[in-house]
Amino acid sequence: MKEDIFLVSKEGIRYTYHKLIEDINNSSKLLRCCYNPDTYSIFLHILTSIIYGKNMILLDYDFTDKELNSLGIDKNELSSYEYIDNQPITNFQDILNKVDNNEDWKLTLFTSGTTGLPKRVTHSINNLTRFVRKSEKHQSDIWGFAYNPTHIAGIQVFFQALLNRNTIIDLFNLSKNEIYNRIEEYQITNISATPTFYRMLMPIDKYYPSIRRITSGGERFDVNLSKSLLIAFPNAKLRNIYASTEAGSVLESSNDHFRITNPQICKIEHNKLYINSSLVGLEDNLNYWYDTGDLVEIIDENTGEFVFISRDNEMINVGGYNANPSEIEDVLCNHPAVEQARVWGKPNPIIGNILIADVVCRLKCTEKELRDYLKSLLQDYKIPRIINFTNKIEKTRSGKIKRK
Amino acid sequence: MLQDYNIIMHNIALKIIEIKKYNNRRKMIMMKILLSIINNVRENNGMLPLESIAENMDLRADIGFDSLDLAELTVKIEKETGIDVFADSFVNTVGEILEKISK
Repeated sequence: MKEDIFLVSKEGIRYTYHKLIEDINNSSKLLRCCYNPDTYSIFLHILTSIIYGKNMILLDYDFTDKELNSLGIDKNELSSYEYIDNQPITNFQDILNKVDNNEDWKLTLFTSGTTGLPKRVTHSINNLTRFVRKSEKHQSDIWGFAYNPTHIAGIQVFFQALLNRNTIIDLFNLSKNEIYNRIEEYQITNISATPTFYRMLMPIDKYYPSIRRITSGGERFDVNLSKSLLIAFPNAKLRNIYASTEAGSVLESSNDHFRITNPQICKIEHNKLYINSSLVGLEDNLNYWYDTGDLVEIIDENTGEFVFISRDNEMINVGGYNANPSEIEDVLCNHPAVEQARVWGKPNPIIGNILIADVVCRLKCTEKELRDYLKSLLQDYKIPRIINFTNKIEKTRSGKIKRK
Repeated sequence: MLQDYNIIMHNIALKIIEIKKYNNRRKMIMMKILLSIINNVRENNGMLPLESIAENMDLRADIGFDSLDLAELTVKIEKETGIDVFADSFVNTVGEILEKISK
């Protein structure tokens, strides 16, 4: 790309690296929390906070008031800011230097916790850029940006592109046709996305030779899907990433089989994957092995090859987002008409799992009423798409709801 | 002999017309069921109901469904018809769903 474009927004606005530097220099206030729907503003906020060495909290823009409350964030905190000196960045190299020499800077994100409470995860810049590949080879990369920019996968793609001074084309939440138009118009070379994102592009009836690399992550790898992708993107190599909000990218492979290449950061015990705490952004400095809750099956004892098979906790992966059924059940049970609720995941060919709620009502109410109520309190992906009204929900002997 | 042949041919023609009528009726019924499922998903997600659907309508571009909406649609179609329309391949249009549920 001849112009020095940093980002093309969903609306088609082109922001150059020159404009990015100008906007960093012109910032006079820095909000502590980033709660913004606009991808460019989010990236600008992250970079400005790095350059000024101020820690920041990154929030999903679709968090409801109730969810923000449960994260311990009130409205005042959302608008709290600091004045910043006009500390000019003269060129792109200054940004790189600041990113390279800012070991103290921390970024806080939130993820659905297994206990029902959201978990605060705080990452250093080293953790976020651990998997960045920086070389001459990557200078011509043009990124199709397909993750939520407030989630760790999106931030990792941002750093990968930024540190190689690449152009980012925002594709997140665009329609299938718009995505194809942008791949062609901007000659996108790299896309990193969830299998759900790729499934929404199917079937692909054209070839897109500009794509050199497709990366899949956030959900279970889909072997059939990957075959279709390699036909549509004949020049592409495929990479599958295992990552989590707590640790970022951890393992990678070219298919659904993984191997532990660095035993200091990962281990398998009793068919479960553990990650060394040095990689995990939880706010403690202890040395321990973090339990991912992901169960694996060893395929080859000699090479150590394994595949992921399931989880040993109740988190449900919905199109790459983790939903905690207990959190949703609690919200449902607060509705005056609901006596009991059970939320579970049904395997689905499009989004991996679809949330289903079985509900026992004490008063008459409709699916639409419950859905509207949930919408005011929870992010969209946490809302059960099917609500079954029933007379009884089975409980276990200890009185817990029996999930399917 | 020839008369018999003509009668047989005539009866076959009548049968074909009957089958065609039956198939069209069946298709119309399926279309109606599908419209009501699509509208249920639309209304659950804050979209206005559609008055009609056509076979060439794209589920994403024309009906406005995202991945979560499509997932909801598949479960509701399966509940009504017993058929998982996305089981073996991705469907794009109303016509492709009709084809799968009319079999």
